[in-house]
Amino acid sequence: MSKYLLILFGLLFFCAWAANAQNRQITGTVVSGEDDFPLPGVNIRIDGTVRGTITDIDGSFTIQAAPTETLLFSYIGFMSQEALVGDRTTFDITLQVDARSLGEVIVVGYGSITKGDLTGNVASLKGGDIQNVPVPTFQEALQGRMAGVFVESSSGKVGEGVKIRVRGATSISGGNEPLYVIDGIPMTSDGTIGYSNPLSDINFADIESFEVLKDASAAAIYGARASNGVVLITTKSGTAGKTKFNVGIQRGVSSPTRKNEFLNAGQYVELMRESGYNVDLSAGIDPINNPADYEESQLEFVENRLTRHAGHSNWREGETDTDWQDQAFNPGAGVLNVNFSASGGDEKTRFYFSSALDQQDGIMIRNKFQRISGRLNLDHKVSDNFTIGANFSLSRTTTTKLADDNQFNNPIQLVALAPITPIRDLDGNLYDRPTTTYYNNLIDSENAEWLTTNFRNITSIFGEYKFNNDLRFRSDFAVDVLNQNDDRYFGSRTNSGLAVSGFGSSRWLRTFNYNTNNYFTYTKNFALRHNFEAVAGMAFQRSDTDYTRVDGQEFPLDDLRKLQAAANIVLGESTLNNFSFLSYFSRINYKLDDKYLMTLSGRYDASSRFGPNKRYGFFPAASVGWLVSEEEFLKGNNTLSLLKVRGSYGSTGNAEIGNYAHYGLYGSASYNLQPGLQPTQIANPNLTWERTNQLNLGIEFGLFDDKITGEIDVYDKITNDLLLEVPIPSTSGFITQFQNIGRMQNTGFELVLNSTNYVSQDFSWRTSLNFARNVNRVRALGPNQTSIPPSNSRFLNGVFIGESIGAFYGQKYAGVDPANGDALYYLDETLTETTNDFDEAQRMIVGDPNPAFIAGINNIITYKNIDASFLFQGVFGNDIYQGGGGFYSANGDWFDNSTADQFNRWRNPGDITNIPQARLNSCNGCNASSRYISDGSYVRLKTLSIGYNLPNSWLEKMKLSSARIYFMGQNLLTFTNYTGWDPEVNADYLADNVFQGNDFYSAPQAKTFSLGINAGF
Amino acid sequence: MKKHITLLGLIVGIFFFYSCEDQLELLPPQSVDQTIALSSDANIKRVLIGAYAKLRTVELYGGWIQLYGEMLGSNNEIRWEGTYNQPREVYNKAIFTNNSFITDTWISAYNAINIANNILSVIDVVDEEDRDRVRGEALFIRGALYFELVKFYGLPYSAGSTTENLGVPLVLTPTTTISEEDFVVRNTVAEVYQQILADLTLAESLLPPTNGVFAKNHVASAMLSRVYLQMERFGDARDAANRAIISATEAGKSLVTSGFMNAFNNDADTSEDLFSIQVNTQDGTNDMHLFYSTPDEGARGGDITILQNHIALYEAEDQRLTQFSIRAEDLRTDKWRQQFKNVKVVRLAEMYLTRAEANFREGTSTGATPLEDINRIRARVDLPAKTTLSLQEILLERKLELAHEGHIIHDVKRTRGTIRDNINAEIIYSHDDPRMVFPIPQREMDVNENLIQNPGYAG
Repeated sequence: MSKYLLILFGLLFFCAWAANAQNRQITGTVVSGEDDFPLPGVNIRIDGTVRGTITDIDGSFTIQAAPTETLLFSYIGFMSQEALVGDRTTFDITLQVDARSLGEVIVVGYGSITKGDLTGNVASLKGGDIQNVPVPTFQEALQGRMAGVFVESSSGKVGEGVKIRVRGATSISGGNEPLYVIDGIPMTSDGTIGYSNPLSDINFADIESFEVLKDASAAAIYGARASNGVVLITTKSGTAGKTKFNVGIQRGVSSPTRKNEFLNAGQYVELMRESGYNVDLSAGIDPINNPADYEESQLEFVENRLTRHAGHSNWREGETDTDWQDQAFNPGAGVLNVNFSASGGDEKTRFYFSSALDQQDGIMIRNKFQRISGRLNLDHKVSDNFTIGANFSLSRTTTTKLADDNQFNNPIQLVALAPITPIRDLDGNLYDRPTTTYYNNLIDSENAEWLTTNFRNITSIFGEYKFNNDLRFRSDFAVDVLNQNDDRYFGSRTNSGLAVSGFGSSRWLRTFNYNTNNYFTYTKNFALRHNFEAVAGMAFQRSDTDYTRVDGQEFPLDDLRKLQAAANIVLGESTLNNFSFLSYFSRINYKLDDKYLMTLSGRYDASSRFGPNKRYGFFPAASVGWLVSEEEFLKGNNTLSLLKVRGSYGSTGNAEIGNYAHYGLYGSASYNLQPGLQPTQIANPNLTWERTNQLNLGIEFGLFDDKITGEIDVYDKITNDLLLEVPIPSTSGFITQFQNIGRMQNTGFELVLNSTNYVSQDFSWRTSLNFARNVNRVRALGPNQTSIPPSNSRFLNGVFIGESIGAFYGQKYAGVDPANGDALYYLDETLTETTNDFDEAQRMIVGDPNPAFIAGINNIITYKNIDASFLFQGVFGNDIYQGGGGFYSANGDWFDNSTADQFNRWRNPGDITNIPQARLNSCNGCNASSRYISDGSYVRLKTLSIGYNLPNSWLEKMKLSSARIYFMGQNLLTFTNYTGWDPEVNADYLADNVFQGNDFYSAPQAKTFSLGINAGF
Repeated sequence: MKKHITLLGLIVGIFFFYSCEDQLELLPPQSVDQTIALSSDANIKRVLIGAYAKLRTVELYGGWIQLYGEMLGSNNEIRWEGTYNQPREVYNKAIFTNNSFITDTWISAYNAINIANNILSVIDVVDEEDRDRVRGEALFIRGALYFELVKFYGLPYSAGSTTENLGVPLVLTPTTTISEEDFVVRNTVAEVYQQILADLTLAESLLPPTNGVFAKNHVASAMLSRVYLQMERFGDARDAANRAIISATEAGKSLVTSGFMNAFNNDADTSEDLFSIQVNTQDGTNDMHLFYSTPDEGARGGDITILQNHIALYEAEDQRLTQFSIRAEDLRTDKWRQQFKNVKVVRLAEMYLTRAEANFREGTSTGATPLEDINRIRARVDLPAKTTLSLQEILLERKLELAHEGHIIHDVKRTRGTIRDNINAEIIYSHDDPRMVFPIPQREMDVNENLIQNPGYAG
C-alpha cells in the first residue's frame, strides 16, 4: 500500500519539479539551538521571491532553489538566518533563540509546539532543572517549580503517596490527581497495594521534560480524563554525534525537618497524678489530705498505673526518662544515587541508554526505599520517510514499608508511650504491654519485616511514516506492566503476631495496561501567511489489575517467614479490576501572519466505567492568541519586547470513579464458612463523566529586551455533574449513591516571572518566580443538600456549599473557663456565648485545609565555574488539624505522653490559659474541635545547590568533557507557626479529596544534605 | 521489509478502529447485578447467608451490641480503660452524637434489615419446601435488629408514654431507588414493639426446630421472651421462654454441666447455645474478645477490668468466680478470653432465668417452678439449692449468670433499676435517664431532616 502512495505522491512532486527544472531540490532540518529539538513551522523563504515553505513536525523541509539563491529561515522567538544555496543540497540549520520564552519547544498532546505559538496554558520544566534533587519520586521534585501545580507529600515516609492538584480540586468523590502520560501512554498511577506510589518506579534522571497541561485548550485532547490537568513526561533521546557518557554519584544524610516536644518523666508524673486527683476532688474525695480516701481513688489508680508503666524502675525517684520520639527516627537516614548514561548515534540511529541506583534510607526506622532502573530509548530512520523507535524501561523498586499512620506500629506512635517506661527490661528485652501504655513497636524492628517489591516495565514502540512534507502518520503501542509483591511477616512478639504465633501476609498485584495511539499530522503553509497544522487520530487503552492475597498465622518459628510455614491459612482472595477507554481526538492549529493564533481541539471518549446510557462524551476546546509585539507598532520596541495575549475556553472530563460504579451490585460475603451475597451498590445507569468548563485568559510579556519575561493567567473552572457519592439516609440500607450532581468552581490567578538580573562574562544571576492563587468553592450538591458533614468523629473535614472542599467543620473551641478549668466551646456562630457541653455547642466552619496561595522562587547564580541555586517554596493560608491532639494534647486525659504545651494547663481558679484542667478519663476538651487546628502556612528552603565545574584545563588532563562537584540540600529550612511535626502533611490512611490537612502521628519530612559528582566523557 | 511493517501497522490500526467497541462492556468480576442475586431459589438463599454475614459484623452481634449493654450498665463494677473514645463515651454516659460506633451500629442494622426486606420481597421465588424457613429467618433477623435498635436508640418501654416516645424508623420494604419515601420519620416505641412482635411471632411459627447454626423456632421464642420482658408482659414472656426451652430441649439442647467455663470460648455451639455468632479464623470477628481480653490473646491492651464491687456480689463457692483471673496486671473475665471464638447471643440458661422470673411474678409454675429453674442454674455452678426465693434473688442470679454478656442494662431498664456512676458515687442514673439512651447518629440527622433527636442531645 505504501508503495502506491509513494508513487502517487511521487507523481505529484514530479509535476512540481518539472516546472522548475533549473532548480534543484534542497532538503534539510531546522533545530533549536537551545535544546536541539526540531522546530516545526519554521518559515523558509527564497530571498527576493514569494517562493517558500515551512518545516514539518520534525523540523525537516524540502524546497526547490537555484544555486544563486539565498534561503531565509525565520521563526518567532529565534534569530533569523540566511544561507546561500551554492552547490549544497542539504542544510541542517540551527536557529538560535532570540526571545527565550518564545522559542522553547513545548510538548503537547500528540505533538509539540513552540512557546510562541502556544495559545493554551502549559507549565513546562526541563528534567535538567531537577537533576540530583534527592527525593524518590519526580512529583516531589516538581514542588514549588510550576505555577498552579500544588504538590504535597503525605509524610516523610519514603515511597508513599504524593498529592498533586493542578488548579485546585474539581471533584468531591471522583479522582483529583492529574493524568500522567509518559511517552504517550497514560501510565498506571494508582491502584497499587497499600499506600505505595506507582510513580516512584520512574527514574527521573531519564526525563527530558515535564509539561503540565492546565487549561482546557491544552488538556481537552485528553478529553474525559483531563479535568485535573495532564502531566506529560518525555524521556530523553539520543542525539547524533559522538557518544556521550555521563556518570554521577551522590551521597547524603537525612534527618527530620522538625520534631515535636514532649513531657519528660517528671512532668509526666506530675500531670498524670494531678489528672487523677482532680477527678477525685470533683467526686468529693481527697486522697492526698485524707488517706482514708486513697483506696479505690483515681489517684491510687494513677499511681498503680505509673508503677506498672515504670517497669523495673521507680517513677517516684525519676529513674527513667525515655525520649520515645527519638526512638522513632533512624539515625542512619540518608540518600545514595549512582547513575550512568550514554547517548549518541548517527544520522540514522540514535540512542539513549541509562541505568541508575537510587536509595533512600528513610528518616523513620524500618523505612527504606531502593530503585534500580535501566532504560534504552532508540530510534531509527529506516528511510527518509519512515522512522521506527522503541523506548524500553525496566525498574525494580523495593521498599521496606511502615504501617499507616493510624497503627500502633507506625513508629511515631511511640510518642504515646510514657517517658517513665524504660525501653528494655533488665534482661535486655524490649518492654511491651502491660508495662508500656501501648504496643512498643520497636519490637517490629526486631521481630517483623515488611517488604514491597515492584517490577515495572514501560515499553513503547512506534512507527512514523511521512507521506510527504505535509502529511505523516504515527502509530504507537505501549505497555505498562506493573508487578508488585508485598510480603509481611509479624513475628510472635509483635502486636499482630503475639496471640497467633506469628502472622504473615503475601499480596501480589499485576497491572497490565496497554495503549495505542494512531494519528495523522498534517502541516501546511498557504501563501506564506497561513500556517496550518492538524492532528487527528484515535487511541485505545485497557488496563487489567489482578490481585491475590494470602494471610496465614501459627508459624513454628519466627525464622520461617514464608506462608508455606503457616499452620493456619486465614485469608485467601483474588480479584480482578479492569477498565477501557476508546477515544478519537483532533486538534487544529492555525497561525496567520505569524501573529494571529488559533487552536481548536477535541476528543470523543467512551469508557467501560460509565453506564450504557451515557457512555460517550465529547470534549471540545478553542483558543486564540495574538502576538501583539509582532505588530508594526511594537516590533523592535525594546522596552516592551514581547506581548502576547491569549484566551481559551473548553471542556474536559473526569472519569476517575473507580470501575463498575454504574451497576446495581451484590457482592460476596461469607458466614460460618458458607458463601453469601450482599447488596453493595445502588444502580445508576445514567452515571457519566464530570464535565469541567474552563475559561483561561493570559498575557505573556517581555520587558527590556526580554530581561524580564512573564505570564499572567486568570481562569475560571466550573465542574458540573459532579460524580458525587451523595449521602442518603442509611435507613435505606445504603449510605451513599453515586450520582452526577452538584457543581464545584475553581477560580484563580497565576503569575510566572523570569528575570535575568545580571549577566556578564563571569557572573550571572537569574530569578524565576511563580505564584498561584486558587479559590475552590463547592457550588451545589444534591437536591436539598447543603452539606456533607464530617464522616469521621475524630476529624473535621466536610463539604459545604460556598466553602472549599474539605473545610473543617466542628465545634469552635473557646478556651478555658478561668473559674473551673472547663474546656469551653462557642454556643453558636455569633461567638457571644460559651458552653462546657460539647454536644450543645453548634458546629460551624472552623478552618480550611486548602491553601490560599502557593509560590516558589528560584535563584540561579553563576560565577565563573561556580553555580548556585536556591528554591524557596511556600504554601499559605491553609489550616492543619492535629488528629492526634485528642491523645497527646488532651491535658492528661489518659496515659499517653503529652506535648510539652500541656504543662501550661489550668491549675488554679483565675488561671488564664488555653489548656483545660487535667481530668483523667473525662475528656475535658479532648473532642475533635477547633482546639486542634493550627495555621499550616510555611515557607521552605526547598532546594539549595552549589556546584563547581572543573576548569577545562583539568578536564583535558583527565580526558573528561565535563565534571561537576556539588552540594545539594533539600528542605534545609522551614519557617512555620505550625505546632505539630511538619506542616507538609496529609495523614495517609485518611487522605482523599475531602480528608486533607490532617496530621495523625504522621512522619515529618526529610531534610537532606548531600554531596555529589557528575562527570561526562 | 519496511513495506511490511507499514502494512502491519495499518492492519493493526484498522483492527483497533473496529474491535475496540466490544471492549467497553466490562462486567465486574467480584460482583453480580442485583437482578441476578434475587432471581432464583439458590441465589436468594445466598442472600440470606449474606444477611447473617451482616448480622455477625462487630457493629451488631459480633460484639458491639453486647459491649454497649455492659458499658451503659457498668455500675462501678467494671472499668473501661481503653483508648477508644467511643465505648468510653457510652461508659461515661456522655455520648457525643458523632460517636462512630453508635453510627456504625445504626448503619449496619438498617443494612441487614434491607437485606431481610429484599428476601421477603421475593420470597415467592424460593422453593416451597424451604420458603417458610427462609422467610422465618429473614423475619427473625429483622425483628431482632429492630429490637436491639429500639432498646438503644429510644427511651425504654418501661419509661411509659410508648405511643409518644420515639423509637426508630420502621422500614419494611427493600430499597431499589432513592426517593422522598426514604427520608423516613421515627416511629413510636409502641409501633416498633408492635412490629417486632409481629416479625418474631411469625418467625417462630415458620422456623424449624433444627437449622444448623442459623435461626430456629426456639431462637425466635427466646428473642420474643426478651421482648415481652421489656414490655413487662410477664405471662407472655414466661410462655415464650417455656416454648424456647421445650423446643430446644427436644432439639437436644441442655445446660453445659462439665464446668461453667466450658460454656465459653467455643469454636462450635455448645449444647447450651441457642444462638451464637460463628467465628473462626477466616470469617467473623469477636469484638467482645477484642475489648475484654489481653494482648497475649490477640486483643487490645486489656480495655476492661473487673472491679471488686462486682466480685463481691458472688457467693464464695460460686463456680462462676473461676471466670475471673489476673491478666495484663488486672482482673479480667475469661468469658471472652480467646480469639476466634463464637460470640454468645442466646444461651439456654437465660431462658430458665426468664421463666423463673416470669413465673414468680405471675405466681405460676409453667414448665417448672421458679425454685426449680433457679436451682437448676445454681446447681450447675456448685451453689446450694435455695428453698425460698425473692424477686431480688432471681434478678441477682440472672445478673451473675449472664454477667458480661451484654444483658445488664436491659434488665436494669425494664426493672426500673439504677446505674451508679463509676467515678462519682453520688451520681445515679435512673432507668429512663436520657443519658442512657443513644443519640440518633449525627450523620443520620444531617442527611434526613425528618428525624427528631433524642432528649438531652442537641440538634
